[in-house]
Amino acid sequence: MKNFRLFFYIYSHKIFFWLFVLVFVLQIFFWRIAEKYRINYDIVPPAPSKYFVKGASFGDEEFLFRVLVLGFQNSGDVFAGFVSLKKYDYSRVYDWMTILDTLNRESRIVPSLASYYYSQSSNPQHINYVLKYLDEHSSVDIDKNWWWLFQATFIAKKDLEDLDKSLYFAEKLAKNQAKEAPLWTKQMPAFIGERKGDGCMAFKVIKNLMDESESGKRQISVEEMNFMRHFINNRLSKLKNQNFNPKQC
Amino acid sequence: MNSILKYILKNGLRDRLYLGLFISIAVAFAVSIFLGTTMIVEQSQSAIVYSLATIRTILSIGMILFVCININRAFENKEIEFILSKSISREKFILGYLLGFFIANFLILLPITAIVFLVFAVNKIGTLFWFLTTLSENLIIISFALLSSLILKNSFSAILASFGFYALSRLMGMFVMAIDMPEDYSSISQGGLASALKILSVLFPRLDLFAQSSWAVYGIKDNVVLLIILFQSIIYLSLMIFMAFHDFKKKQF
Repeated sequence: MKNFRLFFYIYSHKIFFWLFVLVFVLQIFFWRIAEKYRINYDIVPPAPSKYFVKGASFGDEEFLFRVLVLGFQNSGDVFAGFVSLKKYDYSRVYDWMTILDTLNRESRIVPSLASYYYSQSSNPQHINYVLKYLDEHSSVDIDKNWWWLFQATFIAKKDLEDLDKSLYFAEKLAKNQAKEAPLWTKQMPAFIGERKGDGCMAFKVIKNLMDESESGKRQISVEEMNFMRHFINNRLSKLKNQNFNPKQC
Repeated sequence: MNSILKYILKNGLRDRLYLGLFISIAVAFAVSIFLGTTMIVEQSQSAIVYSLATIRTILSIGMILFVCININRAFENKEIEFILSKSISREKFILGYLLGFFIANFLILLPITAIVFLVFAVNKIGTLFWFLTTLSENLIIISFALLSSLILKNSFSAILASFGFYALSRLMGMFVMAIDMPEDYSSISQGGLASALKILSVLFPRLDLFAQSSWAVYGIKDNVVLLIILFQSIIYLSLMIFMAFHDFKKKQF
């Protein structure tokens, strides 16, 4: 025992040095194994459940909404540029938008992101998710959300080139009773219908509006009335050539 | 009692409570404005919400630390024995401490709320109620921190207990919701966990209803919640004070 203590006393610095070398080599081997375990990076992480969100808010749902929406807005930021929207998982984008709506339905942030940012994807399936969200968000209160229905009408027409879908949103948009909504929100089905080649429908929408004005149900400015008269006359002269009979509408 | 009040307020100066909290809140304020400006729309509203929520959290944490450390130091330095050796009742002693902490909290929150009013276009009534309910939330937290410091006599345990109390009280909304959670989500509603959650919801205050940052943006939509907050504050504060009276009366020095 005494010999061992003496041996340790004399050679301890060498023992510790070789132990250090051994552990260093072990660390290198460990690194070889551990480097395969990488953190998964999701462009859009899965949306949390509404129960998790309720708990994580610690009672202040508005704060959590603003924090989550900041992350949602910046998803795809990979610290060295942004990922193309076509690589996003839009089913998750849709889930995020839906869950954020449960925290705050009044805010304009989420429908703005959907309309102006996430709708820029070149993949039609992605745009369908955006339109689905805009439809659900706006349908809760059309009078408050008529602008987002207009956006949906526009996106479906321009980006998706789906006039049936665009007409669906335009018809929904025309149902709004908001005082601040301009008259063209009522005329939108006529414009889309006309683009679709459904002259009868376009004619009917404008005629209904003019009838409402003449019966005093709706106040329409002289300029708007002139525009609508011009619209009808213009279309009628076009449709006359196609043997169109407005009475059949 | 006046001397206790002055003593607590001076302690705030000595411990750099006011300076520390003002600097923390100023940094949080600047970060909130920066984060708000990065939003695609509603920059101002986002900055308001970030600011108010961080102010509330920093203030609550700061007051818990201040109360627990202060009481613990008073025990260790025999300050409590010294004060009680004077002609002051134990009830007055507790009320004096409580009032002192409350005034210190008020002195910090008032100028910060004034700055929020000046810097942002907030909903004025909503922000006023945010201020009042933040005060009452802090009063409940302060009284709990005081009570736990008196009972536990150890600053670390008292701080942990107070943080736990604050977190649980802020989670109470979720607990109440979990009791009625649909069966297909979990077995909570069938098992003993629902009863445990119910018991917890009886014991803890509903702090999740207090100081909503949405009030400063959209105003108050549900006036009933204000009544709930008022009664909750009165009941819980009285509960804490009577408990502290009872505990302190029994204490031998």
